[in-house]
Amino acid sequence: MTSDLFLLWTIQLAPLAAFLLLFVLPKGARRAAPVVGMVFAFAAAAASITLLFSHAGEHGGFVYEYKTLWLRVTEMALWPGVVMPEYVLSAGFLVDPLNLLMIAIVTTIAFFVQMFSYYYMAEDPSRPRYFAFLSFFSFAMTGLVLACNLLQTFLFWELVGLASYLLIGFWYEKPAAATAARKAFVLNRLADLGFYLGIVFLFFFVGTLDFTAFRPDALREAMGSGWAAAVGLLVFMGVMGKSAQFPFHVWLPDAMEGPTPVSALIHSATMVAAGVFLMARAFGLFAASEAALTAALVAGALTAITGALLATVQRDIKRILAYSTVSQLGLMVMAMGAGSPVAGMFHLSTHAFFKSLLFLTAGAFIHRFHSNDIWEIARAGGKKDKLAMAALTLGLLSLSGIPPLSGFFSKDLLLEALSERSGFFYWIGVAVSFLTAFYSFRLLFVLLFTKPGHAPHAAHAHAPSPFLSACRAVPLVSLALLSLLIGALGTSWGGSALLHWLGGHDAHLDPTIAGTTLVLASIAVVLAFFKFRDPAAAETRLEEEGGSWKRALQHKFYVDDAYEFLVKSVGLSFAAALNWIDKRVFNRLFVDRTSGAVLGLGKLLSRLQSGLLQDYLSLAVGVGIVILLFVLKGTP
Amino acid sequence: MSESLGAYLFISTALFCLGVYGLLSRRNLVAMLISLELILNSASLNFVAFNKFSLINKAAGQTFAVFVIALAAAEVTIGLSLILLFHRKRDSINVEDAGEMKG
Repeated sequence: MTSDLFLLWTIQLAPLAAFLLLFVLPKGARRAAPVVGMVFAFAAAAASITLLFSHAGEHGGFVYEYKTLWLRVTEMALWPGVVMPEYVLSAGFLVDPLNLLMIAIVTTIAFFVQMFSYYYMAEDPSRPRYFAFLSFFSFAMTGLVLACNLLQTFLFWELVGLASYLLIGFWYEKPAAATAARKAFVLNRLADLGFYLGIVFLFFFVGTLDFTAFRPDALREAMGSGWAAAVGLLVFMGVMGKSAQFPFHVWLPDAMEGPTPVSALIHSATMVAAGVFLMARAFGLFAASEAALTAALVAGALTAITGALLATVQRDIKRILAYSTVSQLGLMVMAMGAGSPVAGMFHLSTHAFFKSLLFLTAGAFIHRFHSNDIWEIARAGGKKDKLAMAALTLGLLSLSGIPPLSGFFSKDLLLEALSERSGFFYWIGVAVSFLTAFYSFRLLFVLLFTKPGHAPHAAHAHAPSPFLSACRAVPLVSLALLSLLIGALGTSWGGSALLHWLGGHDAHLDPTIAGTTLVLASIAVVLAFFKFRDPAAAETRLEEEGGSWKRALQHKFYVDDAYEFLVKSVGLSFAAALNWIDKRVFNRLFVDRTSGAVLGLGKLLSRLQSGLLQDYLSLAVGVGIVILLFVLKGTP
Repeated sequence: MSESLGAYLFISTALFCLGVYGLLSRRNLVAMLISLELILNSASLNFVAFNKFSLINKAAGQTFAVFVIALAAAEVTIGLSLILLFHRKRDSINVEDAGEMKG
């Protein structure tokens, strides 16, 4: 298996090499920066696809570990009362079907995004920094996916967080971008605190963090059900932060301030899916307690509904897609909570392709028409861009679950998993898919039915070089094809290859579920058609209509306001109280008193220092006499 | 002439006490230096006296006395030069004027 190891190292280190190379790139070679990024991303993608196909023949949940001992601590070296006789940490790669699928998705999309970025960032003066950060993200993400234990995952988990922060704030001179980057970073740190505590407790009780050791029964036995639930919930907190689950979801829509290809790669397809991936990766950990799974189900349901509702009132094309991502992530987490990692991962895979496709088309529109607003794009003649329009339509159809496209199959499997778990959550899933179809077609119809006017930007004529246009077209077409094809792998026509690969059962379409979603989707389409047949009227309606429901939607259900209240009122007054205690109690009572006592003692002693030689002499003689008397007394 | 160790020791103790008294009571730096000489000489007298009545070694005490005299000479040299410098600087040889060490 030496070739495996070689491929693994290539996947892991190629993006890092690109990152380092881009940082030492001489000034004269700055134009080559995108090429460097692209070439190394291609190497990683090629290696991971080779690896995937070299294992494609194997069935039955193979697991290979390439790891080396990192740290071993025995009972002797620890404080008394530890639970386990030995604590072992290792470092290395884990190779199993789940990893191979995820790494192939990550590196492929990363390559296409690098390529598209060449087009999108063609005029940006700090391109080398952009491509360096993008490569750094790929490095961190591959590390996260390939890690063989939870601590290693956590390290790379933080690195992808850092990359996300750097790329959201790439245009840091824009205050909105800087604020959004900070918001994402702070919210993620907050959630990761829980994740970290979970890791600490888990290590304390189990003595190992290897994913292969996470079997529900063994964990329950080692920790007891109370601790198993606590650890599961704490680790799930990290998932909630990274995968933007309610109430941590507020950072993701703001993260759209970053460059659009970044949103395509990080904030829709890979990094935000890392939480879902982690749930599948360490599923035993969550399955060890009913509480963690229920929490996932509830958090996912809240997120899915919130995201889908908010997506229906946005004007900004990226924000529509961002809220859609939030809601789809909610669905995946729900599937995990329903106990079906296969359904969750299948939806993750299809979603990764069609959502990155959607973001890249959004990027194509934004780059061409210099606006994020769908009405403005439409008026500027958005529908004349045939390629982007076709890709957008394909992505949106897939997102709303229209049959021949991938989204339909994965959503169907997901709903099936939910219906097996509970009727209530199944209906939430159905409602979300109804809303999904509605906001998807809202976006499509607004672009399609608006009459192009004389928008100020329409005259902006791009005459890109052939290479630039290729960098724009190739990723769109390839991702469109991939999102067409990958769905078939999860159906009986594709031999359920993807489901078998992940250890699931044969695909079979449940006619009731498929029928329900199809009927609801068509209703949503018809509804969207009648509401947005006349986009100009819909725009005025959006601007003018009032009502408390509308206000709630516009305030994003007051989650941001709740955070602001928490920080400004509760947090700041708590800080003020602490400040008072520090000043009055600690400073005045302890610090000032101590220093005062020392100072007084010093003043007392300094009186002895009269500066007169004879005073010192008398003291010396006096002390000498006293000592002499003691000595004489001691020797009778 | 009745010779006894006690008489010698009495003289040397008297010299020592005079020296200490002078050192503590005089404010004149030269006088203090002279008092110091008295202390040193009382010590040499002790050495010589013990040597005289010692039965074992007739040379050790005298050797020490010679050392003490040499030491006293060196000490006077340094002490006097310090006093001289002090006098040049302050135009005084009163020890109360040397008060820089006051805390």
